[in-house]
Amino acid sequence: MFATVRSTTLLGVVGRAVDVEVHVGVGLPGFTIVGQPDEVCRESRDRVRAAFLSRGFAWPNRRITVNLAPSGERKGGAGLDLAIAVAVLIADEQLPPQVADRLAFVAELGLDGSLRSVIGAAPLVAAVRDRRVVVALGNVAAARAAGAVDVVAARDLAQVIACLRDDDEWLADGGDETAPDDAQLPDLADVRGQPVARLALEIAAAGGHHLLLVGPPGAGKSMLARRLPGILPPLTDDQALSCTMVHSAAHVSMSTSGRVTRPPFRSPHHSVSLVGLIGGGTSAMRPGEISLASEGVLFLDELGEFAPSVLDALRQPIEEGVVHVSRARTTLTFPARFLLVAAANPCPCGAGAPGVCVCDDAARAKYVRRFSGPLLDRFDLRVSVGLPRVDDLVDGGKGESSSAVAARVLCARTIAIERNGSVNAKIAVDDFDTVAPLAPAARALLRRELEVGRLSGRGLHRVRRVARTIADLDGAPVIVGESHVATALQLRTGLGVLTGGR
Amino acid sequence: MMQAGDSHGAHDGRGGRINHDGRVVAAAIAALPGIGPQRLRMLIGTLGVSTTWQVVRGEARAPEHIAAVLHHDGLHRVVRRAATSQLLEQMAESLHNGAIRVLLAGDAEYPASLRDDFAAPAVLFARGELGAFANRRVGIIGTRAASAAGRHFAQRLGRDLAHNGVSVVSGLARGIDAAAHRGALSHSTARPGTHTPTGTHTPTGAPIAVVASGLDVVYPREHAALWQQVAERGVIISESPPGCAPDAFRFPLRNRILAAVSEVLVVVESRAGGGSMITVDEAARRGVTVMAVPGSPHSEASAGTNALISAGAATVCDAADVMVALGLDHHRHAASSDARTRPSSADRVVLDALARRPMTFEQVVAEVNLPLHEVAMSLGRLDAQGWAVVNGGWWEALLAMRAATTV
Repeated sequence: MFATVRSTTLLGVVGRAVDVEVHVGVGLPGFTIVGQPDEVCRESRDRVRAAFLSRGFAWPNRRITVNLAPSGERKGGAGLDLAIAVAVLIADEQLPPQVADRLAFVAELGLDGSLRSVIGAAPLVAAVRDRRVVVALGNVAAARAAGAVDVVAARDLAQVIACLRDDDEWLADGGDETAPDDAQLPDLADVRGQPVARLALEIAAAGGHHLLLVGPPGAGKSMLARRLPGILPPLTDDQALSCTMVHSAAHVSMSTSGRVTRPPFRSPHHSVSLVGLIGGGTSAMRPGEISLASEGVLFLDELGEFAPSVLDALRQPIEEGVVHVSRARTTLTFPARFLLVAAANPCPCGAGAPGVCVCDDAARAKYVRRFSGPLLDRFDLRVSVGLPRVDDLVDGGKGESSSAVAARVLCARTIAIERNGSVNAKIAVDDFDTVAPLAPAARALLRRELEVGRLSGRGLHRVRRVARTIADLDGAPVIVGESHVATALQLRTGLGVLTGGR
Repeated sequence: MMQAGDSHGAHDGRGGRINHDGRVVAAAIAALPGIGPQRLRMLIGTLGVSTTWQVVRGEARAPEHIAAVLHHDGLHRVVRRAATSQLLEQMAESLHNGAIRVLLAGDAEYPASLRDDFAAPAVLFARGELGAFANRRVGIIGTRAASAAGRHFAQRLGRDLAHNGVSVVSGLARGIDAAAHRGALSHSTARPGTHTPTGTHTPTGAPIAVVASGLDVVYPREHAALWQQVAERGVIISESPPGCAPDAFRFPLRNRILAAVSEVLVVVESRAGGGSMITVDEAARRGVTVMAVPGSPHSEASAGTNALISAGAATVCDAADVMVALGLDHHRHAASSDARTRPSSADRVVLDALARRPMTFEQVVAEVNLPLHEVAMSLGRLDAQGWAVVNGGWWEALLAMRAATTV
């Protein structure tokens, strides 16, 4: 007569447990689903019925009511199909009442009764990981990645029912969770010359400082940016899990292990919409590029081509590390702890150099207006990248490899986190004098920059954070010296017309 | 309104006398469509202000040769439509609101150097004190896309000339123009060390600006404050009536006035075919001495000035060169010895590299082959000592001052 089976639904990047309640009773034959199902969910009705009939199970010709509890929240996706099918069978007394009590079901049904993989398997399964979870074969790896201990699979509805009646064995393998992520990341050794840009990458990776690369087309800005994930410290287990959840929920392809093992690198095209970058959407709230880049690198090539409204929306997530997406029905929070790397041309003609640039005043003024000052201000590191020198290209040896740089980065970041409890980019203003005390010469240098008006109060804090990271990389974990501050100042210069000066 | 123009007050540009409202009429005539500087000269010079107004209104007959000009292409219909009493009211209001004076060629206050010019504006608009035209006048012009070193030089030159009582004439454009006037305005706050040895009295070098747009149309807009300061401390003149937009064709016309007002014209930086060269040509036609600031052959911003020097222009390395060209006692300009600390040998390497061309930090690092942090420290010291400046991420050496050659 009545049955309850556990399944889950996706809300943004988080799964929520759902109890599928089925009542089979007297009345006109019919099949209704209540409890705020969305369009896909409502269509379960037809898939479940077709799967029953094509597999030869008896469809109860009575009144069937499915309630998705808690009924106050909107349910989406096809992951509830299997749970509904099992609940109908129990309610119709074709299966014994208690068979599903310690189980959860997350799979879509084909019309032939086969089990299909669902989008967002990792966060879906995570919501019910205290139970034995039944998934389609293709979702086993993702389910394991989500931390579920007891994951079983089946080919089709018939096998599921056979297993529930103890007539068959669950399929338990599928997906090699130890499969190494063998995709090669690009190596810094490919970059010839460019000592300043290389240093900037290293500092960005070690201190978590946002980086703006400015240079003419062909200088290698994208090439440099793509090498940043390779020198970032490896993801901790928590970070990897959080990345996996987001990638799974957004249905972004991952390695065969079903989990994200390396800092992600996202490079959205400049035509990206606000929702595409930040997250959201009307029916299903989907994480945006900034959440996919969380714990990794968000690379915005041709920064000046992005819509200004899209760029300005980045400011709050940059500060908070999360983004709150609010819609009429729901408010969701997505992670957004990304390292922002942007590339831009110095001016419309791309040359930038005094006497070589051919842009007129109007063109320059128009270009500068494309960048919002508050966003430019959030880049701790702003370096110019010149065209590679012929000598470096032709005769230069290979640069230092990513692994060597990554070792220094890891070392410096470890020092910083032991000292500050956070990466250097997040040092609070009040803590400067305890965690980043300045040598007298360094203090004098900063004083002068402030006096001539080249440095604002906020700029001062950013320079001090970068100088802290430079000192950490330089093996000076206590006092920040003059050379560290001098270098930090040079790595946060005005860039071409982007200063707007007279 | 017409009768007012006929009454007697001031000169009407032909020797007759007109009153204050006649000036409004003159301004209105200058604002008529299709009446450029040449036609304006012909009309007002031949007919006087009041008759011209009657002629354009179709209330009086013009002499044969003027009528021929006015009837060309239906111009007379266009101007008759525009020449309304509403225009007069509007003009009177703009002149009043902008504190703008109207000068006619016959006026005593009309700048003497312009009066005899073959292309003198028949009607001139001015904001500020016209006394500056009694000073010695030096034009400082150059490119809008100036290098930081060029702007720095223009600023110093403007300051030093103003300090010696010379009025700096410039166009209030971006780049060199603005830098020269900023310098001229800053002379009162200059270091005490540059005061005249005689010390009796420091004459004021009131700045003179010659602009292309109407005097109530600030262009470029970011120069609003500078514009205001020049009007307070000196004078801004224009032949465009109030409300005139900075149309492209007005700039070459403005340049001829700038050249005519200057006794010596100094070009600080200019590209080979830059707008400054128009001013140079206008100066050459009027026998105004043209001087140029030499620059690196690598710098495109100095291509025009270096070409001028090859063509025979005298060089300007500091204000003393200009004072000599004006025939003034250049000893009054205290030859400022270079007070800058000599750069250390390591810093010198960086400075030498910068002297070749402007560079970004990463270019300097690649050029000098020193550790990155040492370059950063060197640049910091050179900047603090005044040997190098950074502008938009580009570092430039400041060796242009004469004393630096002895380092």
